[in-house]
Amino acid sequence: MFKHLFKLIWNKRKQNFLFLSEILVSFLVIFAVFSFLTFYYQNYSKPLGFEYKKVWSINYDNGLLTKNNDSLQLFYDNLYKSLKAMPQIEEVTYTGANYPYSNSTMSTGVNHQGKKFDRVNNYVVGADYKKVWNVSVIEGRWFLPEDVVTKNKHIIINETLKKQMFGKETAIGKLIGNYDDKEKMKVVGVVQDIKANGDFWPAGNAMFSRLDTGYLKNTSDILIKVRDGADATFESELYKFMANTMRNAVEIRHMDEMRDAKNEVTIMPMVIFIIIASFLIINVALGLFGVLWYNINKRKGEIGLRRAIGASGSAVSYQLVMEAMILATMSLIVGSFFAIQFPLLNVFNIPASVYIIAMLLSVLFIYLLVFACSLYPGKQASGIHPAVALHEE
Amino acid sequence: MLKNYFKIAIAVLKRRKFFTFISLFGISFTLTILMVATAFMDKVISPDYPDYKRERSLYVATMEFKNTKEGWLNRSDVSYYFFDHYVSTLKTVEKMAISTNAKASNAYVNNKKIVIKYKYTNADYWNVLEYKFLEGKPFGQQEINNAEKVAVISEETKTAYFGDAKTVVGKYISADNVNYRVIGVVGNVSETLYNFAGDMYLPYTVSKDNYKRPELMGGYNAVLLAKNKADVPKMQKEFNQMMKRVPIPKEFDRVYSSADSFFAGMTRRIAGDGTNNGLTVVVSILSVFVLLFLLLPTINLVNINITRILERSSEIGVRKAFGASSKTLVYQFMVENLILTFLGGCIGLLFSILAIYLINDANLISNMRLSMNFMVLFYSLVACICFGLISGVYPAWRMSKLNIVKALKAQ
Repeated sequence: MFKHLFKLIWNKRKQNFLFLSEILVSFLVIFAVFSFLTFYYQNYSKPLGFEYKKVWSINYDNGLLTKNNDSLQLFYDNLYKSLKAMPQIEEVTYTGANYPYSNSTMSTGVNHQGKKFDRVNNYVVGADYKKVWNVSVIEGRWFLPEDVVTKNKHIIINETLKKQMFGKETAIGKLIGNYDDKEKMKVVGVVQDIKANGDFWPAGNAMFSRLDTGYLKNTSDILIKVRDGADATFESELYKFMANTMRNAVEIRHMDEMRDAKNEVTIMPMVIFIIIASFLIINVALGLFGVLWYNINKRKGEIGLRRAIGASGSAVSYQLVMEAMILATMSLIVGSFFAIQFPLLNVFNIPASVYIIAMLLSVLFIYLLVFACSLYPGKQASGIHPAVALHEE
Repeated sequence: MLKNYFKIAIAVLKRRKFFTFISLFGISFTLTILMVATAFMDKVISPDYPDYKRERSLYVATMEFKNTKEGWLNRSDVSYYFFDHYVSTLKTVEKMAISTNAKASNAYVNNKKIVIKYKYTNADYWNVLEYKFLEGKPFGQQEINNAEKVAVISEETKTAYFGDAKTVVGKYISADNVNYRVIGVVGNVSETLYNFAGDMYLPYTVSKDNYKRPELMGGYNAVLLAKNKADVPKMQKEFNQMMKRVPIPKEFDRVYSSADSFFAGMTRRIAGDGTNNGLTVVVSILSVFVLLFLLLPTINLVNINITRILERSSEIGVRKAFGASSKTLVYQFMVENLILTFLGGCIGLLFSILAIYLINDANLISNMRLSMNFMVLFYSLVACICFGLISGVYPAWRMSKLNIVKALKAQ
């Protein structure tokens, strides 16, 4: 049976070649779409790891503040107290510029037992960062005031980095090297992953270190968590207060708006991509359908003969659908050869599971597409009456 | 002859309506996407409000320090000092528009928050760039020298801040807790022009940063305007000469900054660095992308065309039997295919006008107004012809190779 089908396909190789290449290219397009969707979905289904609602960020220009570390410390201590004293504000913390949704990244490398881990997000955070974001500590503890004066700098790492570095062992109390492995840092806690780049991106490796006096002159962001009563009136008061304190440019932003903006950057191109891809696929589906339909009309004689010898209608349509499926399989084998290179070569550092799921989905999709396109022509072929078909010749 | 081909083409199109629909659907949709993409590229690349003098302008936006031994790299916007102290000495530069990148600030009106993006500019900024003043006028050298707190605002800001007030010149707008007197209102600028889009324009002398600081990096960028188009290469050369005289900062051994044409400046930002403007990278990536996108509809069209030719084998057989050469047949088929493509192109044009209307209406990118102009139409025509030729060549070749005896016998 299959041998016979292959012979039929081989006899029309020139025509089938185009059919094959069309399915092949469609497979690659679909593979790209599903890879993106799987990647985004996998990340989306992971917990966010923090609470963004009612968190505001205050960004200010620190150019006019004193450069003296001690007076700067005093200034920031006073500012913290004044902000904390406002009834609408629940929590306040200073932070480096790369807080969640901020479009700013700061990364570093860390070393552990001779192995280097690159692109570790380096969050420099104030003491109340955990309270503002409501980050949960999985192991160990959050920063304590005494962490400022220690021999080895105390740091907190996130779950992903912990798994990569220590696997199942505990990370607490371990010493790890900084980017050039010259200084050692001591891990005092492990926190849950926080998806700082929006719902659709992985948290990546991250480490948190205490914002100390030396870092204050680089600081230009404050995060606050407000209570329910905080409205635009309060915001404008807060704004005036900050502008007067800094005597410079100030901007207040709401985390929920920043999150929407961040997610939009991912969603918009994806929507455009899906629209274009689905038009391409409709196009291909119509094309396949048309070509198959036409071919069957051309083969009326052959089909009529089969019917006359005694093949049933369903056997004929089975044959035609199977022919299309075999063609699809041939394309898919070639396509999968290309697609499998992505997980093998670890392209873009994305987990292999994304590519494999995307591949399976695309194979399934192409089979369904070809099946759907050949079903009607096949059905039509089964309706061919032998007498009529043979009479035409 | 052409008239005959046209008649035949129309007759063939009418014969199998379903195939005609598939072909036209594929062509028109492909061309729609190409046209919208072209309209977008056109918006970004060709001269647009308020930057009409791109042919005689060069853009300076980045400063890069390198330490080749340690592999350090520092990249930032340029300082005012650099423009004032070095670039202003260039003889080929007629005028120079200096401005900061837009920075966001908040204003609160009637318990509503408005985000105002403000830019500090020099006086020549208003001479180089042709902003449309709806009322009032720009600030000049005198206001700059006196560091007057005056502001030119965009129409959008006017509506957001003052409501339906008819004239706002002379009124005060408060941003960053400073009251600025409005002296002019300009039309909105599309956000795609990141160098020029802003809600409020202020004299650089009122900036709180110390713009006189003798450093190379800062928050500014500039447009250098040459006297005429021919002077632009000279200006670029003079700029590069000047860069050799710029002292290299401590701890580094190279300093780069370049005056680029608008497009090169953009590609440098996306894919380039101090020494390479990234033009080739961006152009090749774009071309590969367009080719890949075209591949699928083309294969599909070729597939359908071949099917349709086989249907016409008797016609071809007869024509060949009467002495028509392969060349004539190829020519005929190409013309037919081009006619089909043009039909698809016309439908595509209607679709793209609709798509552009929808995109503009939704205001996807703030203040961006796409439009169909002659440039876009021209490129779309080129795309149409390319698409028609590519998808016609292989089927036409197959058709001309058809064996007469077989073709006539088939029916």
